[in-house]
Amino acid sequence: MLEVSGLRKAFDGAEILKGVDLSIDRGDVLAVLGPSGGGKTTLLRCLNFLEQADAGVMTFLGERMDMSAMSRRDIAAYRRHTAFVFQNFNLFSNKTALQNVTEGLIVARKMPRGEAEDRAIAALDRVGLADKKDAYPSHLSGGQQQRVAIARAVAGQPDVIFLDEPTSALDPELIGGVLDVIQSLAEDGMTMIVVTHEIGFARRVSTRVLFMEEGRALACQETAAFFEEQKLERIRMFLRSLNRKDDGI
Amino acid sequence: MSERVINILVTSFPRILGQGILVTIPLTVLSFALALVIAVICAMIQIADVKGLKQLVRFYIWIIRGTPLLVQLYLVYFGLPDLGIMLPAFPCAVAVFALNEGAYCAETVRAAIEAVPKGQMEAGYCVGMSYVQIMRRIVLPQAFRTAFPPLSNSLISMVKDTSLAANITVMEMFMETQRVAGRTYEHLALYSEVAVIYLLFCTVITWLQRMGERKLSSMNGGDVIHA
Repeated sequence: MLEVSGLRKAFDGAEILKGVDLSIDRGDVLAVLGPSGGGKTTLLRCLNFLEQADAGVMTFLGERMDMSAMSRRDIAAYRRHTAFVFQNFNLFSNKTALQNVTEGLIVARKMPRGEAEDRAIAALDRVGLADKKDAYPSHLSGGQQQRVAIARAVAGQPDVIFLDEPTSALDPELIGGVLDVIQSLAEDGMTMIVVTHEIGFARRVSTRVLFMEEGRALACQETAAFFEEQKLERIRMFLRSLNRKDDGI
Repeated sequence: MSERVINILVTSFPRILGQGILVTIPLTVLSFALALVIAVICAMIQIADVKGLKQLVRFYIWIIRGTPLLVQLYLVYFGLPDLGIMLPAFPCAVAVFALNEGAYCAETVRAAIEAVPKGQMEAGYCVGMSYVQIMRRIVLPQAFRTAFPPLSNSLISMVKDTSLAANITVMEMFMETQRVAGRTYEHLALYSEVAVIYLLFCTVITWLQRMGERKLSSMNGGDVIHA
C-alpha cells in the first residue's frame, strides 16, 4: 500500500537519511526501531511531508510520487489519507478535546458539524475519553492528551497513521494506557508506522520492524524474524543492550 | 482652596470631561482599532515572509519607531499642506496615532504569533487544514491571548498620548483644559483636574483588561501548558 525507495534528506549539509527503502501492506504495523539520532523521526516527518525530502519515490495506493517535488495541493490531497501523532501531542491548545477532533473534519473536510461531532465522540469513546470531551488540553494529563491526539488521528479515517514516539514524553505510569489504545487499533487492522523505544510493545504489536541507524535502514523484516532469527550482530547488540537496561530496573 | 478655585473646578469639570468623552475617547478608539488592523497585517507579512512587502514593513516600523510622535503629528498636519495634502485636524490625528501605534503593536503581534509553538501549525497541516485556516483558527487566537496584556498597555499609552493632538488644534480634553487655564490662571488646580480624568479613563481600561484576560483565559482553557 505504501512503498518508499531512495529516501534522502539532509539538514545544512548533514545527511540524516541516506537512501531509505520501506514498504508496508494494508493492516501492517511497522515499528521503527534504532538508537537515537538514527533518523527515525526525520523518516516519519518526511513520510507526511512535514519535511520535504531531497530525493525519494513514494508509491501510495497505487500512485507514484516524487517526494522531493510535491506541490502543496498534492501534499494536501495525500494528507487526507494519513494522520500523524506527535511525541508532544500538539493538541490545539485553544480547543477542547472534542473540537480538537472535529476541527480537521469540519474545516478541512467540510463535514457537517453534527456528523463530525458524532464521529468525534465515537473516536473519543474508543480511546476512553468521551467524558472529557469538553476539557481543554491544559486540563488533561499527558496520557489523556495523547489519547485525544490518537482520537483526532483516527477520526479522519486515514489509510495509515504515523506515530512519532507516542509515549516518549509521558510519565511511566501513563505509557500503558496509550500503548493499549494503539494495540487495539492494530487489532482492528489499522495500518500504522510507529517510531518507538518500547521494544516489548514493538514485539507484541508490530507485524514488521524497520531498524534505522545513521540514516540507513539496516533491516526491514517480519517482527518474528527480526527478534528471533536476527542475523545482524549490530542489531543483536542493540537488543541485548535494551534487555540489560530492563533487567537493571 | 479658595471658593473661586472650587468654583472654577466645578464649572470646568463637565466641559473637560465632555471633550474627553466626545473627542479623546473616539480619537483613541478609532486610532487604536486602525492600529490593530495595521499591526496584524504587518505582523502577518513578516511571518509569512512576503518578499518586497516585508522590507516595506521593516522600513515603516523603522521610521515610525525612530521619530517622535509629536514630530510625526507636525509633519502630517503642518508639513503635508506644503505638498497640497491638507487634512482636517481630527482625521489627521487619527491617521498619525494609528500609524504610530500600528508600528509598535506590529512587533507585539509578531512576537505573540512567533511564541505559538510550531507544533500547532504542524498538527493543523496533518489534519488537512491550510495555512490560512490554521492561522485564523489556531495560531491567531492563541497569539491574541499572549498579545492582550501588552496591547492593553499600548492602549493605555495612547489615551494619554492623544493629549499631543492639542498641538495640532484637535479640541480634546487637554486643549480644553489649557483654554480654561489660560483664562483663569488656575494652572495647578486645572491640570490636576485633567490628570485625574486621564487617570479615571486609564483605570477603567485597566479594569476592562483584567476582565478581558479572565475571559480569554477561560476561552483558551486556562493556563496553556505546552508539553
